[in-house]
Amino acid sequence: MEDVQVTGAVTNIQQFSTHDGPGIRTVVFLKGCPLHCAWCSNPETQRRAMDIGTATAKCEPGCTRCLSRCPSGALRKEGDDLNVDKALCRSCTFVEAWQEPPCVLACPDEVFTAYGKKMSVEAVLEQVEKDAMFYRYEQGGMTLSGGEALFQPDFALALLREGRRRGLHTCLETCGFTDGATLLEACAELDFLLFDIKNLNSEQHRESTGVPNERILENLRVVRERFPALPLKVRTPVIPGFNDTPEHIAAIAAFLKGLHITEYELLPYHAYGSSKRHSLGFSVPDVERPSDEAMDALRAVVRSVLG
Amino acid sequence: MYATCVMSPHEKYVLEKAAGTNSPIREKHKRLFALIDRFDGREPIIDVQRARLFTESMRQTEGQPLVLRWAKALKHIAENITVYVDDLQLLAGRCGSDTGRYGILYPELDGDFLGENLTHLAHAEAARIIVRPEDLPVITEEIVPYWTGKTYHEALNKAIPDDVRRLVYNDPYGYSSKYLVHETSSLRASLQWVPDYEKVLTKGFAGIRADVEARLARLDADNPLDTLDKRPFLEACLITCDAIVHWARRHAVLAREKAAAEQDPARRQELLQIAEHAERVPEFPARTFHEALQSQWFTQAFSRLEQRTGTIVSNGRMDQYLYPFFKRDMEAGILDKARALELLGCLWAEIAQFVDLAISPSNRESSEGYAHWEAVTIGGQTKDGRDATNELSYLILESKRACPLHYPELAVRLHKGTPDRFLHAVCESIKDGQGYPKIFNDEEVIPLRLAKGVDFASANDYAVSGCASVRMPNKDTFTSGCTAINVTAAVEMVLLNGRTMKYGDDFVVLETGDPTTFATWDDFWQAYVKQQSHLLRNAFVVQGIINRLRARHFSGPLCSVLHDLCLESCMDIHTNEKIPGGFDSAFFDLLGYGTAVDSLSAIKKAVYDDRSVTMEELIAALKADFVGYEHIRKILERAPRYGNNDMYADSIGRDMERAAQDYSRAHAHVLGCYMDVRSISVTSNVPFGKVVGASANGRNAWKPVADGTSACQGADIHGPTAVLMSNYNSKNYDRKEREGRLLNIKLTPGTVAGEEGTRKLMAFLRTFCDLRLWHVQFNVVNKETLEAAQRDPARYKGLIVRIAGFSAYFVDLSRDLQDDLIARTSHETF
Repeated sequence: MEDVQVTGAVTNIQQFSTHDGPGIRTVVFLKGCPLHCAWCSNPETQRRAMDIGTATAKCEPGCTRCLSRCPSGALRKEGDDLNVDKALCRSCTFVEAWQEPPCVLACPDEVFTAYGKKMSVEAVLEQVEKDAMFYRYEQGGMTLSGGEALFQPDFALALLREGRRRGLHTCLETCGFTDGATLLEACAELDFLLFDIKNLNSEQHRESTGVPNERILENLRVVRERFPALPLKVRTPVIPGFNDTPEHIAAIAAFLKGLHITEYELLPYHAYGSSKRHSLGFSVPDVERPSDEAMDALRAVVRSVLG
Repeated sequence: MYATCVMSPHEKYVLEKAAGTNSPIREKHKRLFALIDRFDGREPIIDVQRARLFTESMRQTEGQPLVLRWAKALKHIAENITVYVDDLQLLAGRCGSDTGRYGILYPELDGDFLGENLTHLAHAEAARIIVRPEDLPVITEEIVPYWTGKTYHEALNKAIPDDVRRLVYNDPYGYSSKYLVHETSSLRASLQWVPDYEKVLTKGFAGIRADVEARLARLDADNPLDTLDKRPFLEACLITCDAIVHWARRHAVLAREKAAAEQDPARRQELLQIAEHAERVPEFPARTFHEALQSQWFTQAFSRLEQRTGTIVSNGRMDQYLYPFFKRDMEAGILDKARALELLGCLWAEIAQFVDLAISPSNRESSEGYAHWEAVTIGGQTKDGRDATNELSYLILESKRACPLHYPELAVRLHKGTPDRFLHAVCESIKDGQGYPKIFNDEEVIPLRLAKGVDFASANDYAVSGCASVRMPNKDTFTSGCTAINVTAAVEMVLLNGRTMKYGDDFVVLETGDPTTFATWDDFWQAYVKQQSHLLRNAFVVQGIINRLRARHFSGPLCSVLHDLCLESCMDIHTNEKIPGGFDSAFFDLLGYGTAVDSLSAIKKAVYDDRSVTMEELIAALKADFVGYEHIRKILERAPRYGNNDMYADSIGRDMERAAQDYSRAHAHVLGCYMDVRSISVTSNVPFGKVVGASANGRNAWKPVADGTSACQGADIHGPTAVLMSNYNSKNYDRKEREGRLLNIKLTPGTVAGEEGTRKLMAFLRTFCDLRLWHVQFNVVNKETLEAAQRDPARYKGLIVRIAGFSAYFVDLSRDLQDDLIARTSHETF
């Protein structure tokens, strides 16, 4: 199959995304992730299948338009409250076929949101290239994100290869928990790599993300070794109670120093994914955003290690 | 006014002022802030002196050539008007009362209804203004009786044929607009304008006077027309040169008197220096940067005494004509940057105190908040086409950033060769959130001028003028106020077979058939083009009358004597005849552009392509203002909209503009001027919306229509790059019948935070340049806007906010998190 014909699942294509690599960029969010971070702010990208978000708080009292339209019987109205059986919802024939289900169209209050659609590389790049005029300055271009973009390896690689063929500046945001060979193959098509390191303690890492960290650390090491010239920035989301101590951060910084990595950024946890988490049936973590002072202190730790 | 929504440094200044604390910026710019404290927050006062003296003189010169009468009136004003040397100021001169902000009157425009309207104005909600009780009799007993029956607006109201007039005015006297075909000429004696300050600074009025004498010597005594037409013009020029010099010298006398009485030796020295300057300029060439600023301000202020220029005469390319003086003084060691900033601050403070009074009801609505635009232009290219950026460009940018006022307007010319250093400084300034500077594009403005026959040197030397127009000193010769048509109303008139909801079934504009009988989109589109062309047909008639009438009512000897072409041809700038070598650039505005495009797109999609709404249902929904038709509105709102880089909608905008250009191409030449499509709304998108019922894009009845060529409120949901692309998609680059397009873009401070954000903004503006768009300005918005977005999310759908690690649409966030973000943004901003 030619690269342009390869298809995959995309949740969103965001133009003028300003913090996902240099210049003006369009970010393509691919669906599916091997990690299940408790704080994830893009929970709609975790599962590989289509998700239906239900913002039940927006539901109008007395309205029953969606009930009869639901093919899987997942919706029930008790009083003014709309209850959604998530398991039944996921078995919906429309969802399985990547089609917008009838509930979305029936609801005037935008309670239901379908996350994810099947797109070809051609269709994605057509969207990305709409802003081609803007990419020519300050190294703007396309960023693959997710989810974990490499969780759909054929699709992600085809996007990167075809993007490169079309002269796009390519960037990947990765959690690092990927098949090593796929990651290296991707790096060969990249102009910039954003790599997340969350915690050097593998047990803690597994508890909060669902996977241990050894493969992630090894992947970063190998990428450094095989692609020493690839511009690379490592990022850590600072999550209170998980990795927000000076010791956690110092350990990561020391690891990076050993790999001669100097570009390192700390991102404070934010709760902006909460309403989406709620609408998808995920629990909302009881975590506060780190204070500016705490972030400054951690950044000082980084500077003391990396210089 | 459009640029004042969010001004973080201004808010900062206001808060600090309220708290009584001194900010570092106040400390650094002590004189500027002390000057501002004297007038900031005070209601403006009306000064009647200019109107009284002008009237006195005009009463005595009836029957003489108009240009001579005007010059004599200027002389009378120069000799008798109170002159001022303000405390703390380093520049002398103002046009009226020194009690704070002030406005002056132009009874030649509206003298017949001044009395009535000033009483009303004193109680106006939007812009309160003080009319001193002792001045009311001067207005009602001296000024109003003389001008009644003689004003331009009365003549215009009578001259427009009835069948045209009914689309223009909403009352028998021509006070208020119908906002279907709108004329702006009766509000002002001239369009926005840029005088040739460079000439004043380098030649002085003594040198200019010598040029006039030389031209006088070349008159042919045997040619009766030279004696009849040219001699009075040149005599008027001489009188005017003498008048401004006399007026300036009176300031020297006053400054010396004040110096003699001054106890503080430092201030005494300043006053003596002011006196020296006023004895020297504008009569002779300026010798220093300080003298150059004084000479410029005298000229600018005197031009206000001459005539009401729509949105005020602009400051022109200050970083160009002031640079030789700046450079010389810096090299001589008699000027440093701090002093240069102080002097610029003195000029901004004077400019800010002058208020452009909006007296008539329609003027008040289309230009709310006493908007005025003394645009300062920096950057761009030199006359010979090289990058023009210099150290003064940076300094003016810096002085503007220090100034907490929305005056003067700062405009930057960008071109392909603009250095990164300058673009970086410009982007940093935009990020301040003041809305400044606004950006103009040499890559669009200059080729358009060339295509219309202007030489390279003049085109390269254009200055921004007024809100979003441009002027070439010594080249532009067209001064008539222009017209605007309401294109959102044109869509409504297709739907109602020539009627409007506002003016009822008996008011038939043009019947284009019952829309329920239109079988295809093309039928509907053809009807729309008929409506638009019909409004244009009327606008062109009005423009023709305006062009003819103005020459009988207005004259501008100061404006003319500073113009090479006027002096050579001995023709007043306001003549209705062709000034040889002049560029006559008239225009008409398509107002409500984005709203009309989205409405047409929704009709095409829902009624004709998808057949999800019938024409009958659509019309019923609009008549009901969507009450009971929410489902129809939802369908309509799902149609492609302008501002999202979607050719479905954008091509409708392109075709609309093209139809207007076709009309102009076929019919403009008989008017003797270009008639180009423009879309600059100032604040008139509000009153234009008030005459249009619910529209097919989902807009409620009487709500504002979209401004300029911006997307409809809340319609642009794909970010700012898509907004630029839509503007690009909807232009006709194969047509020269196009002019200014105003574009507003909102960003939150976080989106462009840090050095990374500055670089992205630079990439954005470089692309703007490549896309050959005319103009763009940014609102880098904060708290207040986000709060408004919470209250009215539909309107702010496209508002992008920066969140740690990524950006999102504000309205997508939960209420609590919005609150959090609001708190955080204000933390960032204050």
